[in-house]
Amino acid sequence: MKLYNVKLLTITCEILAQENILEILKKHEITGYTKYEVDGNGARGLRGQGFKNEKNIKIEVIMREEKLQDVAEEISRTQFANFAIVLYVSDVGVLRPEKF
Amino acid sequence: MDILQLIQANLLTPIILFFLFGIIAARIKSDLKIPDAISEFLPIYLLAAIGLHGGIEMRNTGFENMLVPMFVAIGLSLLFTLNHYQILRRLGKFNLFDSYALASTYGAVGAVHFSVGLSFLKNQGVTSEGYIAAILAVLEPLAFILAIFMTNMAVSKQIRAKRKSVGDDASTDIDVGLNETKTKLSKVLHESITGKAIVILLGSIVIGYIIGEEGFEPIKIVFDEMFTGAIVIFMIEMGIIAGQRLGDIKKVGIFLTAFAILIPTFNGVIGVLVSTAIGLSLGGSVMFGLLLASASFIAAPAVLRQAIPQAKPSLYITSALGITFPYNIIVTLPLLFALSTILHSGETIDLFNFITGGLI
Repeated sequence: MKLYNVKLLTITCEILAQENILEILKKHEITGYTKYEVDGNGARGLRGQGFKNEKNIKIEVIMREEKLQDVAEEISRTQFANFAIVLYVSDVGVLRPEKF
Repeated sequence: MDILQLIQANLLTPIILFFLFGIIAARIKSDLKIPDAISEFLPIYLLAAIGLHGGIEMRNTGFENMLVPMFVAIGLSLLFTLNHYQILRRLGKFNLFDSYALASTYGAVGAVHFSVGLSFLKNQGVTSEGYIAAILAVLEPLAFILAIFMTNMAVSKQIRAKRKSVGDDASTDIDVGLNETKTKLSKVLHESITGKAIVILLGSIVIGYIIGEEGFEPIKIVFDEMFTGAIVIFMIEMGIIAGQRLGDIKKVGIFLTAFAILIPTFNGVIGVLVSTAIGLSLGGSVMFGLLLASASFIAAPAVLRQAIPQAKPSLYITSALGITFPYNIIVTLPLLFALSTILHSGETIDLFNFITGGLI
């Protein structure tokens, strides 16, 4: 079975930054993503308690390397200063590269 | 009536006791927690009950009495927001973003405050004008819209000044930035007007107006008799969240702590005085004053995090929920009630009749 190399971008951020992130993805014509609510601890303290809009969210997006640079650059430029965000990239293998 | 006595009596109501209990539960690190679904449901329920109640009252009293208090409330809310900004920026030395975020948090109104106020009045056997629920709905997005507008103005002014100093080379980038702020404003406007709080509140007011007392009868048990009980459950949650933030109050600083206590008191007293002068009833004046005294802590973060992301949420959430909210429901509310009682006894009654007589 042949696996094709693509990138997995994982963004953990406060739920109120979610919309901005999804907008950036949309702008770069990325329509597929998975997101889930999470909680945890970080530089901005224990997160995910209390009000609904103080929760954290994790967004996973698979994309090709060419797009990744632009997306990651735009997120870091527009969101890092004001929101609690952790972003990282990993290599993943997929069976159907045409999907991404 | 002795104000201290009233505060003491208020302190021993289930609403306040459960709030304090929630704070203690959070402080001793108990795992007590109101399930997510319920704590999301309760604000919707409370707003629906407020709206229905308001709509039914409006059917009894009619719309025309509503206009003057509505415009006065809008004017005061905007004025207060600008006033807060000046105090925070000049005296408090906060930066532009924090100043506007805090100014609008305190200029905006709190639905939880409003619910507690209604149940306080019910406890005292006093009624209030139903149209105040409509004022709540109108004031809810107002202070934020003003603050976001002012922030955008200030930012684009800075950008323009920068463009002048740099020359026109980088103008494309700057134009993009300017357009982005403009679309942000219209997006926020749309979101705050179609937000769930306003939609459920306005919807319930309309439904309450249509069904009237008679139609309300079958659902009364849920939306009237259970109202205070529901607030009590919500207060546990509020207490827990406030308790978790108590540690953050140190970060808020002395100036903002004083601001979070003095400003609501001042706004509330002005609210009671003005509303009494324009002819609201005893209970109505208390609710009007409480609206102006209240600070928003549920709507504020959602709106401000999007619109003014540069402002630190720890400042405005902690001061509004950790300081102002407990202070308001424990001290300001009985204080406004006592003030309104004094104002509405004796000669002011003539003024009341005179003004309402003139309007009708």
